[in-house]
Amino acid sequence: MKGSDNFKTRLKIATDKLKKHSNNLNNDENASFMGSAFKLGTELVAAVAVGTIIGFILDNWFDTKPWLMIFFFFLGSAAGILNVIKVAKRMQEKE
Amino acid sequence: MATNPMHQFQVHRIGPEIKIAGFDLSFTNASLFMLLSAFAICGLLFLGTKEKKIIPDKFQLISELIYNFIAKMINDTAGSKAKPYFPFIFSLFMFVLFCNMLGMLPYSFTVTSHIIVTLIMAIFIFIAVTVIGFIKHGFGYLKLFVPSGVPIVLLPLITVIEIISYLSRPVSLSVRLFANMMAGHTMLKVFGGFVISLGMLGGWLPLGFSVALTGLEILVAFLQAYVFAILTCIYLNDALNLHH
Repeated sequence: MKGSDNFKTRLKIATDKLKKHSNNLNNDENASFMGSAFKLGTELVAAVAVGTIIGFILDNWFDTKPWLMIFFFFLGSAAGILNVIKVAKRMQEKE
Repeated sequence: MATNPMHQFQVHRIGPEIKIAGFDLSFTNASLFMLLSAFAICGLLFLGTKEKKIIPDKFQLISELIYNFIAKMINDTAGSKAKPYFPFIFSLFMFVLFCNMLGMLPYSFTVTSHIIVTLIMAIFIFIAVTVIGFIKHGFGYLKLFVPSGVPIVLLPLITVIEIISYLSRPVSLSVRLFANMMAGHTMLKVFGGFVISLGMLGGWLPLGFSVALTGLEILVAFLQAYVFAILTCIYLNDALNLHH
């Protein structure tokens, strides 16, 4: 009985070691972290830009300068923060 | 050598001017480097798959590594349903990677440092993903814009925000690649200019910076290609497996 326990613990230690080793081998994990870091900034800015441009176009359609542009600027900021939250959530899921 | 750091981004014509229906379709240095990267990819993969050895040579090893890398990435981010799109994402990754890497050679031209190139790729991906989403889910794809568990009062506002967030995808995808490539190459040229203007006495510091920046740029060139491909996978994942 004692012998089989001994074997089980030894097996567990060995598999843990193997797992750790294969985790260390996983270099693309690091790459994806740096990738996410590059991602966050542009996500925020792009949504603000897109929102403002949509507001600008709608303003030209409805002749309501500059109110829709201002309104859509804030909507765009909200969308940018939403984008960042989505990316951050995805990063957390990966961990 | 021009001292203007932006000079490297100029597109100029090679050979005769070709005009079809008012559009300038001449062969430029941008076209040349796109062709070069396409040929380089084909050459590498041709050499890599020419003979299938059990103990691979260098080319076969590189091809297999890239294949595994992309296959794993697609499987991890978009699931097994995305397998049919492997060829597209593989070519996309290779093209961006090779354009970036060829741009690191001295006197070469970086295709991806022009926003029109990256924007066209991003818009193509955006339209393709949207079409795939509508084919797979019909009008149910619109549920992407209506998150569950939102009070009725806030729903119109949230939907507009979600639509803006969706429309910002091609912009962020293209601007990221273009800005990283352009900023890095401009910085390299600026530091290179410092070396010349400071001369033998003070030129060593910017020279060291240039060497370090070159290493960083190679990393960025790879990372941006990787980010471009992985974001395509993530968008594809949204289209294939509707989560909301």
